[in-house]
Amino acid sequence: MTDIDKSNFAPGDAPTYESVLQCMRCGFCLPTCPTFALTGRERSSPRGRVALARAVHDGKLTFSEALKEESFFCLDCRACTTACPSGVKAGEVMEVCRSQAQQFFPGGHLSQKFRSFVLERMLPDPDALEKSMLPNRLYQRLGIQWLVRHSHILKLGPDWMEKAEGMMPKIGEPLRQQLPEITPARGEKRGRVAFFLGCVMSLMYGEVSRQTVRVLAYQGFDVLTPKATKCCGAPHLAEGDRETSRQLALHNLELFLKEDVDAIVTDCAGCGASLKEYEELLEGLVPHEKLEKFRAKIRDVQEFLAEAGLRSEGLKPVNTSVTYHEPCHLCHAQGVSKQPRDLIKAIPGVEFREMNESSWCCGSAATWGLKFTEESQQVLDRKLNNIKATDADHLVTANPGCHLQLAWGLKQAGIKQDVLHLMELLGQATPE
Amino acid sequence: MISQAAVARLRDMLGTKNVLSEPEDLLTLGYDSTPELSGQPDVAVYPPDLDGILTAIEIARDEGLPIVPRGSGTGLSGGSVPVSGGMVLCLNRMNRILEIDEANLTATVEPGVITLDLFNAVAEKGLFYPPDPGSQKISTLGGNVMENAGGLRGLKYGVTRDYVMALQCVLPDGSVVNTGGKSVKDVAGYAFKDLLVGSEGTLGIISEITVSLIPPPQTRKTLLAYFDTMPKAGEAVARIIAAKIIPSTLEIMDQATIGCVEEFAGIGLPLDMAALLLIEVDGHPAVVEEEAAAVHKVLQQVGAAEIKLAGNADEAASLAAARRTALSALARKSPTTLLEDATVPRSMLAETFTEIERLTDKYRLTVGTFGHAGDGNIHPTVLCDERDRDQMQRAHAFYDELYEKVLAWGGTVSGEHGIGVAKRDYLARQIGPAGIAVMRRIKDSFDPRRMLNPGKVIAEK
Repeated sequence: MTDIDKSNFAPGDAPTYESVLQCMRCGFCLPTCPTFALTGRERSSPRGRVALARAVHDGKLTFSEALKEESFFCLDCRACTTACPSGVKAGEVMEVCRSQAQQFFPGGHLSQKFRSFVLERMLPDPDALEKSMLPNRLYQRLGIQWLVRHSHILKLGPDWMEKAEGMMPKIGEPLRQQLPEITPARGEKRGRVAFFLGCVMSLMYGEVSRQTVRVLAYQGFDVLTPKATKCCGAPHLAEGDRETSRQLALHNLELFLKEDVDAIVTDCAGCGASLKEYEELLEGLVPHEKLEKFRAKIRDVQEFLAEAGLRSEGLKPVNTSVTYHEPCHLCHAQGVSKQPRDLIKAIPGVEFREMNESSWCCGSAATWGLKFTEESQQVLDRKLNNIKATDADHLVTANPGCHLQLAWGLKQAGIKQDVLHLMELLGQATPE
Repeated sequence: MISQAAVARLRDMLGTKNVLSEPEDLLTLGYDSTPELSGQPDVAVYPPDLDGILTAIEIARDEGLPIVPRGSGTGLSGGSVPVSGGMVLCLNRMNRILEIDEANLTATVEPGVITLDLFNAVAEKGLFYPPDPGSQKISTLGGNVMENAGGLRGLKYGVTRDYVMALQCVLPDGSVVNTGGKSVKDVAGYAFKDLLVGSEGTLGIISEITVSLIPPPQTRKTLLAYFDTMPKAGEAVARIIAAKIIPSTLEIMDQATIGCVEEFAGIGLPLDMAALLLIEVDGHPAVVEEEAAAVHKVLQQVGAAEIKLAGNADEAASLAAARRTALSALARKSPTTLLEDATVPRSMLAETFTEIERLTDKYRLTVGTFGHAGDGNIHPTVLCDERDRDQMQRAHAFYDELYEKVLAWGGTVSGEHGIGVAKRDYLARQIGPAGIAVMRRIKDSFDPRRMLNPGKVIAEK
């Protein structure tokens, strides 16, 4: 019924008219949006962004530089999706708009080259990605990092560079190279799962995923970790490269559907959300039943263990207090909010302390925290205050992006809490 | 159109971030929650304080620009839609709670304070601000005052007007008027303050608001009752009132609304019931017990299919929160949700529901009905698609015919959403030419140049 001719969107990926028409502008999203909280500017709110996308459809607005800015200024935290009674997905509308932005404003030759190198060559190739970490490892091992940090040389460069350097955790051997293809279940076997190992988890938080696999095995599951796993495609969606994301999704879908497993489990909230959304991303490219079958198997590890029921016999007490930061891509994108809390409370010895605004974004959001360092700091500060107020020993979370940002933020602010992935905490309770 | 020089002057006086003129900003400040309505301002100004408002008004006057005040844009009749362009005056950055006066039980706020923020701030001091529009998490006090917002507790506690004690108001000639005060009794002169409340930004710009507070009820009890027909639920409401019980909340939802709310909130509402009443009684524990029992008895007598008591405060709160999402949840089912704000004497509720059902069939529409049944304030909502002209015509014919009955029964065309643009014709029908003429004279005495929110409440000639 719409007059498609009026639309100012470029051909290819564009938000559907239905997805923007569904917004009835009630504003329930406004108090949940970090960028609206920062600016108080309607166009930087979910309602405003959807209105802009609709205006492009209606031919009232061209896809302007300002709309490009808005599409990338959105954190894609999906808090508005949780809040929207009408079912509007403003974050996803902006995610699609990012690919429009690439069509209308592709950037200069050099930045295009760099972009296509990173998105199309590096990220899709796990071997290349692992090799790219080598300089970082040398940088840390040879003591250059120590020198750089103590010389304050980074203060001379852009803010994002100093922040990125400061965030970098200790880089070890990529976990993908070390994990066996199959880690057998311990005790009475309860099932067989495939583990989707994320890139950041393998490269920067290898120890976390090692614990995840160990916990799953202790809980009675054979854990299969396919070496051929590729990036889930989330970074590509975030940068507006939906085409490469689809290729990666197709690869992973085929790879994991081959395996006879009860579930496909991940400990990265970002990967989990991305995998669960393959259904929409690949609609029309792959038979629907196949997409549904795949979707039905994806579980965040917290969600999976809560469903399976935590086997608590033999767990060692961990006498400590923790608070929990909800990763956006876990609570808002996947609706997994109660399960992590239940798991934490089930660990013997742990005292759980709820923080205020636990599901408010930490300001990391893929590369957002580096692109908008000042705004990111403001979002982070709000979070840090809430964390600090709990006075818990540890901050527990379940996503590498949040982990990096929060660990860095706490250190900068001189707050004593340290950051643990929930599986690390459970790992401490799990006997060797 | 606004001149570039005037924009520069505004930026100079108010700061760059407080003056927006990019198309993307103007586009997103041209709507509120009212379907089918939008406009485009020429400039948007965020005054940081009273001086900012005065500056904005002065420049608007020099430029001959209409001024449209705006809070969070949650209105449902188009009160803040700039239908004839001009300057949108966004008051949501003036959001300080200036004082909570425990000796006088008042709070003084700037107009941009979010309703729930005030509620929470006074609750911390053991006080209660009763008005609670469905959009309390988003709407501003200024917007509440301008639209005389109602809400879920209107039945027992009244609406915004009943709590406004004093207003500071800027008139379009730049004069600042203070009206009302902290004295509980005040009959000096015309009820200027009461006239401003609900004036929808057509008489003055509110720059400061003092509201009265009351002690919170000691305890509350929440009941849920299900019925197999809407008229039966309407009958139950009339009988509760006739039994001389005034619950604090007495809300209704029909089957379509229950379904959508449940789909969003997932709190276990049954999908096979034709109607639901959400009833809360509050006050002294002994009174609450007695009233809850009396309500229970009436519900049984009328023939409720099921009556449930909320297990605890959390459960009661989640029910009320779910009810607040009713309109937005209905939007899951259709791109456009055209809602009305019909209000009838409570003895006529059952007839109203019967009439809604008849008209739904007659005009072949899908309608979700919910509202503040205890106030007689009902929001029948046509689920439609604004791209379908024929359907939209039928939807408007549905309301035309419904309002004919509502007015014949002594009801009103707006219980709490105001007139704005969307309901001007209905207002003219309700109060007649003499009523419109006197409103016009009042408007002209405040705003002779007709700068403030033109086209709202009464049409411009």
